[in-house]
Amino acid sequence: MPKVNINGTEIEVEKGTTILKAAAQAGFEVPHFCYHPALSIPANCRMCLVEVEGARSLEPACYSEVTDGMVVETKSERVIKAQKSVLEFILLNHPVDCPICDQAGECKLQDYYMAYDAQESRLRAEKNQKVKVFPIGPEVLYDGERCILCTRCIRFCEEITGTNELTIVQRGDSAEIRTFPGKELDNPYSVCTADICPVGALTSRDFRFKCRVWLLQSTDSVCTGCSNGCNIHLEHFRNEIQRYRPRYNPQVNDYWMCDAGRLSYKEVHTDRLLRPMSNGAALNWHGVTETASAKLARALDDDAGSFGFVVSPQASCEDLFLAKRFIEEVLGTDQLYLGGKPDGFEDDFLIKADKNPNRQGVKAVFGGLNDFGDVDKLIDDIESGAIKTLYMMETHLPADAETRQRFVDALDKLDLFVLQAQHCAELANQAHLALPACSHAETEGTFVNFDGLAQPFEQAFAPHGDSLPHWQIFMRLARAMGQPLTYTFVHQIRDEMFQASDADENGEPAEAQAE
Amino acid sequence: MTEEKSDKTEKSKETTEEAAEEKAEETVEETEQAEKAEEGGEAKAAEEKKAKKSLPKPKAAAKKKPTPRKDEKYLSRNFEIPNAHNLDVYEANGGYRALKKAMKMDGEEIIEEVKKSNLRGRGGAGFPCGIKWSFLPKESDVPKYLVINADEGEPGTFKDRYLMELDPHRHIEGCIIAAWALGIRYCYIFVRGELQFAQRRLNQAIKQAYDAGYLGKNILGQDFDFDIYVHPGAGAYICGEETGLIEGLEGKSGQPRMKPPFPAVVGVFQAPTIVNNVETISSIPFIIENGGQWFADMGIEKNGGPKLYGLSGPVNNPGVYEAPSGITIRELLERYGGGMRDGHELKAFIPGGSSCAVLKPDALDAQMGFETMREAGSSMGTACITFMDTNTCMVRVAARLAHFYHHESCGQCTPCREGSGWAAKVLDSIEAGRGRMEDLDLLLDMCDNIQGNTICALGDSIAIPVRSYLQVFPEEFEDHIKRQSCPYPAWSKRKTSADSDAA
Repeated sequence: MPKVNINGTEIEVEKGTTILKAAAQAGFEVPHFCYHPALSIPANCRMCLVEVEGARSLEPACYSEVTDGMVVETKSERVIKAQKSVLEFILLNHPVDCPICDQAGECKLQDYYMAYDAQESRLRAEKNQKVKVFPIGPEVLYDGERCILCTRCIRFCEEITGTNELTIVQRGDSAEIRTFPGKELDNPYSVCTADICPVGALTSRDFRFKCRVWLLQSTDSVCTGCSNGCNIHLEHFRNEIQRYRPRYNPQVNDYWMCDAGRLSYKEVHTDRLLRPMSNGAALNWHGVTETASAKLARALDDDAGSFGFVVSPQASCEDLFLAKRFIEEVLGTDQLYLGGKPDGFEDDFLIKADKNPNRQGVKAVFGGLNDFGDVDKLIDDIESGAIKTLYMMETHLPADAETRQRFVDALDKLDLFVLQAQHCAELANQAHLALPACSHAETEGTFVNFDGLAQPFEQAFAPHGDSLPHWQIFMRLARAMGQPLTYTFVHQIRDEMFQASDADENGEPAEAQAE
Repeated sequence: MTEEKSDKTEKSKETTEEAAEEKAEETVEETEQAEKAEEGGEAKAAEEKKAKKSLPKPKAAAKKKPTPRKDEKYLSRNFEIPNAHNLDVYEANGGYRALKKAMKMDGEEIIEEVKKSNLRGRGGAGFPCGIKWSFLPKESDVPKYLVINADEGEPGTFKDRYLMELDPHRHIEGCIIAAWALGIRYCYIFVRGELQFAQRRLNQAIKQAYDAGYLGKNILGQDFDFDIYVHPGAGAYICGEETGLIEGLEGKSGQPRMKPPFPAVVGVFQAPTIVNNVETISSIPFIIENGGQWFADMGIEKNGGPKLYGLSGPVNNPGVYEAPSGITIRELLERYGGGMRDGHELKAFIPGGSSCAVLKPDALDAQMGFETMREAGSSMGTACITFMDTNTCMVRVAARLAHFYHHESCGQCTPCREGSGWAAKVLDSIEAGRGRMEDLDLLLDMCDNIQGNTICALGDSIAIPVRSYLQVFPEEFEDHIKRQSCPYPAWSKRKTSADSDAA
């Protein structure tokens, strides 16, 4: 293992380590724009130049590998001059339009300017002009003047998605990022290019002018768009999600996430059920708990055999664990059905066909999926009269119009229909009792992804309206029905659940590397 | 095509004739020498070796009478022979003899001879050819490539086109010898897009070589296959940089690669690749025929062999001339170029293409060798010298060059991309009379910030000349700034020698 001396600190690193990584291990920051740990190394921004003893010129730290006995200076006078000069060159034709730039606040150019340059431009001539607000793809806008041509986006489309939409056109300081003729940046991961863009050249059209980034609060969460369970920064402002940003987890999603998942935050805030309802009339929780417990108790007394329960693969493991206890200890039914979103698009990278974040969680909590009937069986059972009372948890309507209509029609035949969900105002009007549940942003819990990896997510903000987490709703009903289930915190459920289940908790994501 | 060809031969004839008139005495020797050359033979080489030993330094020789040996032509031998681009004429003049000799030799032997010859890369960087060849891995799972850098785009440089247009078979012979020595399977000749005539000539010659069995499968009955392809460039100067060229050859935009790995290890199509200049490879047949030591003797320390020199600017006989390595610039100017034209006084010259530092006439006695030119404060580059007279505005020259490099910067890495345009803007403003004194410091600082901080040498190519104009002619820049205008008349209002004659 080569030993290297960085700014006087002796450190031993793996063979093949770059100076930049070795310096990070030794605790020194080497500024860089074009280098990204998941992409190839073009060494074109020249921001990371460091002085290597014996070398004629400065070496790019991102590219050069350490050798045994190497002596590196990352803060020598020569290096500082080079850093200043590179920033001066980069900012030479940069419009410095930070006040109207979405990147401001999380811009490497801003940060490095303050840390390494902080001097006035010596340019007296006019700045070069390039394209502004260029719609390079359906989700991404390009600003040529802000672009520093680090080619992270090009390399992303070459090396990660393999879709090769982007290239550089023109030469020298006229160079711009463009799509190849007839193409646009429309791959399923296109917004990742805006994430990795170190400046405000590529910005998300969805997030455009929505919120200044320094106002955002960030919560570690998991994307609910599909069963892959990409780790995200859930970023919110005033109790509303503003955007998802991928959170580094080498076991799941690396630095990336898909556009569909990224935009799935919109579902959280649309079509919400915010008040407990009884036959279309809003109630408070006290009233609805009493009514519901009474009605459920009567239904069980009348015909416990015709009681059905739809479990949702959208709910967290903790919610499911209480659902299981509620079903087994309070309702005592064994006619279970599994709802959830229908399958959709998948690819061989991150996007999975199963659009439910926690189907594996249902499997883990309930010990398998064999006991569950599907939606078709549910409709058949309702139509045949085998199910007269239905307790439905967070369920999405079937995709095709015919089944959907059959399902909606069948629900009318029920004696008692209790819906416990965050969405579906449509079904909520049909339900005899509608209980508002909150989204994953408003509670904490655990999802198990397609691979069996249990991943915790945290609460970002308080539940909207009168909605409550599923587990609290089950607790209320159970208490009202004389079979109290007592928990105060989610982690109590989690502990008990992990004891009961054989799924091992493996969800702590690794620390993200410096991007 | 024929017109163009005859034009060219006539032109070169004319220039030689003019030179001949002036140096009648030497021309006699030259003809004698040419006769001698036709006799050939080792005796002659040995004799000349002796002559060489008695004259260890060509500089000393230049001060005396030039030895007959120095006027013998090798690289340009076929330039004046009509139709030398055709195989039959080329063979009749001794062509492909070196190849036949080489194919009786071992690859290692050939590399040793080339190392011994002190042949330096003729493209400008001057890397020793034999050493470069020895970097190529012996064993390789993938075919090895030879790439000829014929993207001759350096402003002021025009030597390789002569070799390709007038003596293409010599070049092809050199390629085949290199391939034989190094176990190379394919060769690409990357010709600058504008040199269409050279491309046609090369293609024609390649076809003839295939028909004659010098290319293709089982060359000369041996177990040796070799193919040559001509690849026209698309006009980017940066494709003259070897890794930029490789990218261009692979069909990408010409953006130089980071080194290491060097092309000899990972080159074109990820395979081991040797990139050589046209003139370098065209010199190989002579090394094989006459031996590496012979080649090394015809030059100075570390710089062997005959070399083509280009002369341009207001000289009497601009053109391409062959002379040994180590000749002084004064001799090139006076003996080959015929001195400056009447009414034009030498003010400055660039020794080897626009990316070399500019020199004043006091450096005329510098020898053309990579080390000697560095001592003189510049570099040999492509050895195509641009002379400038006292009518030339150095600020305008610097601005013009900065514009060239600004236009040709590939835009990949920051200092060159942004710095080239900035330097051009600042120099423009000084030339237009809007300069300030602090601009001079700014330019020097900018040059420091570009040089050495870029991926390839194009950044240095901006910094070195711009800095040199500022340092060699500071008074001219200050004059521009003080006057707030350019003291030199515009090109169109320039007095020509014809005007002064009329007056």
